[in-house]
Amino acid sequence: MIAAAEPVIPDFGRGSSCVRENGTFCWEWVRDHWGDTLRPALVQHLLLTLIAVAIGFALAFALALAAHRRGRLTTPVVLVTGLLYTIPSLALFQLLVPFTGLSRTTAEVALVSYTLLILFRNTLAGLAGVPEEVRDAARGMGLTRRQLLWSVELPLALPAIVAGLRIATVTVISLATVAVFVVNEGLGAPIYAGLQQTFKTELIAAGALCVALALAADALLVLVQRALTPWTRVARSR
Amino acid sequence: MQDFVDAIRFIGDNAALLWSLTLDHLALSGAALGIALLAAIPLGVVLGHAHRGSFAAINVSNVGRALPSLALISIGVAVLGIGFVNVMVALVVLAFPIVLTNAYVAVDGVDPDAVEAARGMGMTPREVLWKVELPLALPLIFAGIRTAVVYVIATATLASVAGAHSLGDVIVDQATYRLPGVLGAAICVAVLALLAELLFAALQRAVTPRALRLEERGAPPMLGDLATNERTT
Amino acid sequence: MNSENTAQTEGSHGYPRAATLELRHVRKLYAGAARPAIEDLSLTVPAGEICVLVGPSGCGKTTAMRLVNRMIELTDGEILLDGASVLERRPAELRREIGYVIQQIGLFPHQTIADNVATVPRLLGWDKGRVAARVRELLELVQLPPELAERYPAQLSGGQRQRVGVARALAADPPLLLMDEPFGAIDPIARHRLQDELLQLQARVRKTIVFVTHDIDEAIKLGDHIAILREGGVLAQYAPPDELLAAPADEFVASFVGRDRALKRLALSRVGDLTLLPANGAAHGATIDPDTSLRDALSLLIADGDRPLAVRDGDGRVAGLVSLELIRAALHPDPAR
Repeated sequence: MIAAAEPVIPDFGRGSSCVRENGTFCWEWVRDHWGDTLRPALVQHLLLTLIAVAIGFALAFALALAAHRRGRLTTPVVLVTGLLYTIPSLALFQLLVPFTGLSRTTAEVALVSYTLLILFRNTLAGLAGVPEEVRDAARGMGLTRRQLLWSVELPLALPAIVAGLRIATVTVISLATVAVFVVNEGLGAPIYAGLQQTFKTELIAAGALCVALALAADALLVLVQRALTPWTRVARSR
Repeated sequence: MQDFVDAIRFIGDNAALLWSLTLDHLALSGAALGIALLAAIPLGVVLGHAHRGSFAAINVSNVGRALPSLALISIGVAVLGIGFVNVMVALVVLAFPIVLTNAYVAVDGVDPDAVEAARGMGMTPREVLWKVELPLALPLIFAGIRTAVVYVIATATLASVAGAHSLGDVIVDQATYRLPGVLGAAICVAVLALLAELLFAALQRAVTPRALRLEERGAPPMLGDLATNERTT
Repeated sequence: MNSENTAQTEGSHGYPRAATLELRHVRKLYAGAARPAIEDLSLTVPAGEICVLVGPSGCGKTTAMRLVNRMIELTDGEILLDGASVLERRPAELRREIGYVIQQIGLFPHQTIADNVATVPRLLGWDKGRVAARVRELLELVQLPPELAERYPAQLSGGQRQRVGVARALAADPPLLLMDEPFGAIDPIARHRLQDELLQLQARVRKTIVFVTHDIDEAIKLGDHIAILREGGVLAQYAPPDELLAAPADEFVASFVGRDRALKRLALSRVGDLTLLPANGAAHGATIDPDTSLRDALSLLIADGDRPLAVRDGDGRVAGLVSLELIRAALHPDPAR
């Protein structure tokens, strides 16, 4: 689980002058180490994120459906997920180590916990936001409870659900950098390596990649939401 | 399980150290929050009152949310070097968008009928702001403060990788403090964050006028604000 | 598009186009309530007629309507649709055979107009072609341009959405239609137009309709039978409009229909239906159409003074005269006849 990073500085004699002098940002280093350091880290980071968001969403979605049915579940779920959410990531990662060791599992469990609150809340709020008269009309026309949920309530809840996914995804992308303290994967690895050696280029490169990833994921999800909800974009055209 | 027992013992044995680090942690957080609040709240309130700058005010939060804190700290270290001030700057940058957006949305979104009525009664714009808009906006402003507080406390944990002191010092230094130490400090930081959350949740409820509170009866505690309650550490 | 085709559209379960609705000793008591929302309501709505439930707020008229399609469950009593109890079927199935129109309409914002209207036919498993044809037919029936089919509800005006709501309710050609204050949120001018259109529609499709309103004038205009309810769902009177106005059962009904009920009665009849007085070249006041209501004629007569009004016939000539006395006599038919 060691990131394929080789010693970076000092590359006496072989590094460029920029690297040797620890200039603020050395393109050559980025080019040279894209394949062995940056790209693997990026891919690992992406994987960590996707797995965490997928599992978190599955769990939160199920909980939200349950709470939509039985309102009394809402408070306990919010309390537990809120509690998990409030614990600073560095602490949570470490607190899990006795249970799941220094592994990707620990990282994933912690990351999933951070997604639960926002995904649960947004899904539930989205479902609750369906206008009452739409629900009344749907029931009155003869939709069963299941049909009401899947063909009316969930589509109308999509904007809120996707908003939650956006926040959760960006949150995980950010938190996954801290995962380096339990498993040497993700963009946190080059960041931490750069911090230890105060090697600016690596810090900036990895940091910037992380920011870019987050912005790209956010934008992508906005596009997804627009594609899935064509009715939200039309205005009165009469 | 034994690890946790050892962790508790560690806390007991090293109370002085942990306490000192807690104070460092709070100092760092407090300084950053102070600056962020002083800058963001007036700006957000003024913009919201004038109903201007909505695009910027909302999108600064979107962008701000996407900035992973460890990444930002690392870029900050690269550019500014290590140390208390540099970390504090990074924390301010991370806290600012949350507070700004909440303050803006809070004042901008005050019931326009209430504002209209106030103006119609002869209040000057300044009176409307202080007597009508701010009291009604206070709960949401506080939600932003609360989110920012917890967020900064959490991020300050990472400060140790950038040369500032906090409880994170112990957590990242497993070599010196071993697992019980790491766990002990982790427990401390978790408790610290939770206490902060509870404190500010109570404060938020306290500044919510009774009337508005009744409307929210259905919403359980710890919800904060839907739009900006997110964090990146 | 031929109105005959609409009238003969096959009902989805071999139901006749219109069903009889019977309420027998219906009772609804909410748990923990001191008094029942509906105590003991019995009435029968003949097939193909509009029955209006009207009464003051809280009298239980909407509750009674919602008991029929089991949006609210009966505490006691029976509700029979063409002789079969509504309890025999599962609620979802029952509701697919009953049209349901509510005041806020409740169109699905995330579906096109066409999809909205097609909801129940699709639930019943109609094939695509049939559904599409039916949607086209219905849009025409409610006088909406066909290009609206692919738009979203947010793109329509309030009046247009109201019509879509009616079209949606009629989609599967149900034998019964429930309408809960459908025109309540609409401005008076549009409301009159929609009421007229509903009557025209009914002339074509002849459904059994239960219509809830708090507006007595709307009730008189639309209803074949009117059920006046008082608090507790107690039936004060159940009669056709003219009988209701001529002979209110008690003080409550009399004050509900209003002190001007005689005038309201006059509004129900046309001058052309009377046996007119011969003209004989006598002096007369204004000339009016045979379609003029007796009420409007009365108004003209009072304003004018002494002279009777002349009624013109199809060719524009004077067919006869109308006097105050004639109108008064219309209210009190000769018992000997």
